[in-house]
Amino acid sequence: MVSRAHRRELDARLIVFGVLGLLSGAGVFWVASNPVARQAEIPSPPVILLVGWSFIGSGLLSWRARPDNWLGPVMVLTGFAWFARVLAEGNGSVLFTVGQAFQVLYLAGFLYLIMSFPTGRLQTSLDRTLIIVTLGLVTVVQLAWMLFDDTRATCDLCSANLLEVARNDALSNALLQFQRIAGVVVIAVATGLLAVRLVRASRPQRRAVVPVLLAGIVAITVFAVFIVADAVGAPHKDIYGRIAGYTLAIVPVAVLVAFLQRQLARGAVAGLVVELAAVGLTEALSRALGDPSLSVGYWFPGESRYVDGDGKPIELPQPGGGRMSTVVERGGQPVAVLIHDPALQDNAELVESVCAAAGLTLENERLQAELRARLADLQASRARLVEATEAERRRIERDLHDGTQQRLVSIAISLGLLELKMPMGVSQARPIVREARESLTAALAELRELTQGIHPTILTERGLPTALDELCRRAALPAHLELNLDRRLPDRVETAAYFMVSEALTNATKHSHASEVRVTAARTGEVLIVEVADDGIGGATVGGGTGLRGLTDRVEALGGTLTVTSPLGRGTTLRAEFPCE
Amino acid sequence: MRVVVADDAVILREGLARLLREAGFEVAGLAADGAELLEQVERHRPDVAIVDIRMPPTHTDEGLQAAMVIRQRHPGVGILVLSQHVHARYALELLSAGTEGVGYLLKERVSDLGGLASSVRQVGEGGSVLDPAVVSQLVGRPRRHSDPLEQLTDREREVLGLMAEGRSNKAIAERLFVTEHTVEKHVKNIFATLCLPPSADDHRRVLAVVTFLNAQ
Repeated sequence: MVSRAHRRELDARLIVFGVLGLLSGAGVFWVASNPVARQAEIPSPPVILLVGWSFIGSGLLSWRARPDNWLGPVMVLTGFAWFARVLAEGNGSVLFTVGQAFQVLYLAGFLYLIMSFPTGRLQTSLDRTLIIVTLGLVTVVQLAWMLFDDTRATCDLCSANLLEVARNDALSNALLQFQRIAGVVVIAVATGLLAVRLVRASRPQRRAVVPVLLAGIVAITVFAVFIVADAVGAPHKDIYGRIAGYTLAIVPVAVLVAFLQRQLARGAVAGLVVELAAVGLTEALSRALGDPSLSVGYWFPGESRYVDGDGKPIELPQPGGGRMSTVVERGGQPVAVLIHDPALQDNAELVESVCAAAGLTLENERLQAELRARLADLQASRARLVEATEAERRRIERDLHDGTQQRLVSIAISLGLLELKMPMGVSQARPIVREARESLTAALAELRELTQGIHPTILTERGLPTALDELCRRAALPAHLELNLDRRLPDRVETAAYFMVSEALTNATKHSHASEVRVTAARTGEVLIVEVADDGIGGATVGGGTGLRGLTDRVEALGGTLTVTSPLGRGTTLRAEFPCE
Repeated sequence: MRVVVADDAVILREGLARLLREAGFEVAGLAADGAELLEQVERHRPDVAIVDIRMPPTHTDEGLQAAMVIRQRHPGVGILVLSQHVHARYALELLSAGTEGVGYLLKERVSDLGGLASSVRQVGEGGSVLDPAVVSQLVGRPRRHSDPLEQLTDREREVLGLMAEGRSNKAIAERLFVTEHTVEKHVKNIFATLCLPPSADDHRRVLAVVTFLNAQ
């Protein structure tokens, strides 16, 4: 932003230029009204004033609106260059020579204006080449032509050309033709480039560039027609010159309007604050900035990256790609990043003021996004924990099976053999061996129950349908099983579903006074739905010491949900939904 | 009687083989997994194959799958499956392929040499043996009131359970300290209640009971 002191200094400078513009306009108007030679190239006095003041006036106002943009000064200079050419109608050789030298300089400024709009900077090397060539044509070629041109040979009333070193009609004519042909080529190329730019303009760009580009294309096209008409000596060529003049006058006004529109857009910042509440942050920002493709990322300091509103990490666009990002900071800390159309870069001030207005909301949204990101992390770590626990339980079961159980069985075999081999005489020892054998059998039975509780082997061996069938067969209540499963599901889902049914059956037996239980398990799409419903007394609550709390944790850790419906006297239904992609 | 023993744990395989030799069986071959078991059965054509359910490479129900293959290829070879767990489902699957010469016992029963020997012999002779734990899971299972098993008396259910284990009327009578005649009466009642035709063969009785249980 421009400081107050700078602003005052700038205003003073603009006033000086404005006064100079008014005075020089009045001067050249007088000169054009009292022409010495009535040259065809010099437009009528009103056209001269219209074009010149249009450039200088619009230039000064644009300069004030966008002090950081070159286009204001360029327009002012173009206006003065336009006035300078009129001096060729002035009295005396000096004025004539100056006017001749400045005859076409304004064209370079004009071309720069429409080629670099709206940034004031030339984007491609082709653009730059075009402007350099044009500058060459209107300065170097123009002066070279003046070295050999004897103006009075074609214009009786004209003053002497002070730059003439030697009259050479053939050379001066060749230079003039070259200037004309090259000029038409430059205009043709520029028209093509501008047309492409017009078609490709993105939505935020379109609002600003279309009027300027259109007026510019029309002006240079008419001017090209004028050059050709002049070269071939067509009748009524002055008409084209006048039309070119009028269209020329429109362009600076169009530029000014575009710049003022941006001022107005900045006024939309106030509206943004109102809209924030109504349509949400991203929508409000995209409306205020005129970029429907705008998206917002929030800074997640925990992992030093940006996340979207749901807390998912996002990628910032690469420099030079079709998108651009602008970081929004508050108190030196990044808050958010706007990912937008590169066109918005031309209007950094607008982006800045919009972000300032939305700052608090952005910070709020950032905190929410951070919370969501943390929740997602937490959810993931919870799921990992459950899976790790499950893997650990499976390992313990396996170790018990392969180690302890086998060893105990082999001891049982040894005891069996010992009993067999024992001489009939040692009758007191026999009952002891039998007792040891029986304790061992009991220990094995207990170990068997224990390992099943740690991890149900049948689940690993046969999958959920068989395991649920086994559970229902073993239940202490009549349990009816309905299955609709066509394939194996992820281990963690099968295990959680198994333990959910197991726990629900235990609860139904212990607490519900039910006479029977209905178990259903079905996969619809990517969701496994498991339901256990009894016809008991109801009234079960999560956290009522029924193990439902642990069950809920287990289901939720997998991203699923567990609902308990248990109206008094009307049975209990547990319903779990597991995502299983 | 010739047997083949399959178990992936050497200590158990060898122990079991020694136990069976002591009890008078000829141990024709030993196997450590399903594939080896099939090979051994192919080569020795034993009377009974004694198979651990959980074996490599999958460590799931390899033994059971091998048993099903043996059933198909060599119907004459009896199969006694040893399991660390009570999975009624596995027992029923085994029996569904034919009840002649089939047994399902918990591994820990090997400590009772007499019981093990008689089970192996029973399977070798074409009978069927179910572990009492499996039977009690099947028979002792809670049922709805419409269930015919619900209409049996406690004593009759007890008899049905012993029948399912593969015991004869005489053995049941001894076990329950009643006369064989009383047992016959119970059996007739059970068959009548369950609408099953009476049969003399032990394994047919098991078949009838299991088929009935399985249908529930």
